[in-house]
Amino acid sequence: MSSFWRGLVIQWRVVGALIIREIYTRFGRESLGFAWIVAEPLVFAIPVLFVWRAVRDPNEHGISLMPFLWSGYLPLLLFRHLGGRILLFIRANVPLLYHQRVTIFDIFLARALLEIFSNLTALVVSFAVFYTIGAVDVPRDLPMFYLGYFYMIWWSVAVALVIGALCERTDWVQQVWMPYSYLYMMFSGFFYLADWLPPSLRNVALYQPYTQAYEMIRGGVFGTTITTYGDPAYTTFALAILTLFGLWLMRDSRKYVVIE
Amino acid sequence: MINAIDVTKDYRTEGRVNRVLSNVSFNLAKGEKLALLGRNGSGKSTLIRLVGGVELPTRGTIEQTMSVSWPIGLAGGFHGSLTGNDNMRFIARVYNKPFDQIKAYVEDFAELGKFLSEPMRTYSTGMKARFMFALSLAIDFDCYLIDEVIAAGDQRFQRRSHEELFEKRADRSMILASHIGEIIKAYCSRALVLHRGRGKVFTDLDLALDIYNDL
Repeated sequence: MSSFWRGLVIQWRVVGALIIREIYTRFGRESLGFAWIVAEPLVFAIPVLFVWRAVRDPNEHGISLMPFLWSGYLPLLLFRHLGGRILLFIRANVPLLYHQRVTIFDIFLARALLEIFSNLTALVVSFAVFYTIGAVDVPRDLPMFYLGYFYMIWWSVAVALVIGALCERTDWVQQVWMPYSYLYMMFSGFFYLADWLPPSLRNVALYQPYTQAYEMIRGGVFGTTITTYGDPAYTTFALAILTLFGLWLMRDSRKYVVIE
Repeated sequence: MINAIDVTKDYRTEGRVNRVLSNVSFNLAKGEKLALLGRNGSGKSTLIRLVGGVELPTRGTIEQTMSVSWPIGLAGGFHGSLTGNDNMRFIARVYNKPFDQIKAYVEDFAELGKFLSEPMRTYSTGMKARFMFALSLAIDFDCYLIDEVIAAGDQRFQRRSHEELFEKRADRSMILASHIGEIIKAYCSRALVLHRGRGKVFTDLDLALDIYNDL
């Protein structure tokens, strides 16, 4: 076996061990522990969506509200939970760094994978719930929906890389994260379609990769009944740059970790 | 083989740079045992953490061609809210060792009994040290990094530690931070004396101990 493959095998084993450990430390060892991973985002999503359904006009802007909110809220949860879990993750895991085989990147990967898995399960389960009661339909353009969601995952991971690495250097990253992740709700595309914006504002909004991803997700859900502006080429380019920046910061962040 | 070349480590506290190690170099061949001597705060633990890869040097390199243990000392390396068994399971997975075998060894050596199924934050300092020490012996490294730990535990534990470490594993390498002259003279072939960030290797252990006592 070449050393590259050996390295990869070791890394997967370490990431696997970290995921199991993370489940134990976060949710306890009882059988409910694992169920919580699935239930946690649902506990957020389902009540919120039902309340909105009760208080808002079900056909704002000529599209039905529930699919719009469902396809907006689940990606929002992923972004906020992944970011929240990654804040100070290095400091919180200092005991792990005693083991030379465990790298910062492994710890990051384990947390991110767990969060993504948990979110995707919530996506499926919440869809099943709302589909059963007739509140949402199967997305009209499934490949487009998957593509948009893929970009949403990528965006959330890239941002987590950047803030996870930066918060070891300065404390204000934490202070900024709270208002940012909250305001993100307003400007991300969770509440709007680019089509509803005046053209000048729309051009600015579409520089945001997450707005692009939202456009693709909405295009997937509603198909050709609405106009969307998703551009996979631009989104890939923007996210690739952000990811490289995040990886570079992360690689360097080990230097800033002070142990006891 | 471990080869440390011009290792420098700075810590930044409130904007001020505090240089703990300054251009420290040494090497360690397979099977060799190196003593680390220095007063409190001279950088012994820092150097051990750097060799163990827990922290990175500010400048300089540390090459390794053998498997090196985590720093075995009075703290670190485990998760307090997990039980001893779960910490063991995690470490067995990371190092790809069969859990049953590791558990049997640790149960026998650390003598923690039913505490292994309790969260580790309920352990005393001595129990934690015994646990992590036993675990590192169970994993079986080429080189052990030992930070004062052999002074931990009661007499029986100390006697068994000496037996496991210095008799059964006489062929392994070791970096040993200790204040105890007899241990150093009995097992180490060289000593690295640290003082004010500088390090110097001595092959004459009596001389090294004399210098250390005069620091």
